[in-house]
Amino acid sequence: MAGRQRTRPGVWVGLFLASAGVIAALKVTDAINPTTAFLWFALSMLLLVPMIRSMKAMGPGCASNSAAAIRYTKRIGISSALYVLGLGIAITIDRKMDLTTGLGFAIAMLPVLPIFGMIWAMGRYLVEEQDEYLRHRASMASLAGLGLLLGVASFWGFLETFDIVPHAQGWWAVPIWAIGMGLSQGWMSYRDRTGASE
Amino acid sequence: MNNRLKVLRAEKSWSQADLAERLEVSRQSVNAIETGKYDPSLPLAFRIADVFGMAIEEIFLRD
Repeated sequence: MAGRQRTRPGVWVGLFLASAGVIAALKVTDAINPTTAFLWFALSMLLLVPMIRSMKAMGPGCASNSAAAIRYTKRIGISSALYVLGLGIAITIDRKMDLTTGLGFAIAMLPVLPIFGMIWAMGRYLVEEQDEYLRHRASMASLAGLGLLLGVASFWGFLETFDIVPHAQGWWAVPIWAIGMGLSQGWMSYRDRTGASE
Repeated sequence: MNNRLKVLRAEKSWSQADLAERLEVSRQSVNAIETGKYDPSLPLAFRIADVFGMAIEEIFLRD
């Protein structure tokens, strides 16, 4: 009997990003309130569970199936879930209470600690990945993310100095870094596929 | 750096996945080395040489 073909991890990632995009669009257009958006986004993170299962099910030799890559994805998934939870709690407390400096510092830690977790997960991946080419790719992607962050932050800073754009919050740093990493990994995967020879 | 990996692999009728399994690396690593996008470290170059029973300089060539 032929085995059932498992959905590829990229499909789950695509579904997660698509659902996040739809929720963001609904929130921005005020079609849903912030609490509903938060709950839907938290639910959409469940899509990361079948993604990890799908990665594990892929055959040996697949880049996303190294032990280090699976541990990295799990750590990022847990950190992201805690980030969403921490962010939701922090925003709710901020809206309902007048914050003292101490309490403000404490609730700022709720989303920040999971972000530290994401940065730690990236560092551990570079240490634990045994495949030197995958480690090289991750290092290059990390540098590309850093380059994008430095470029965007510097450009935005000068635009802000000249009153052309509004003030941007510092917490944008990690998402911009992650976008740079993701784009770079995507480009390198595409380059590897197009140059593949069997 | 040029290399003869693709030819040597073909002589043994190995796929990239076969060679990757013998080297305990990902198929992407084999592909990147074969196509010259990535030069392996010295330890991995020795492992490749051992798999083919050859010296490193018989597999990896100067530009």
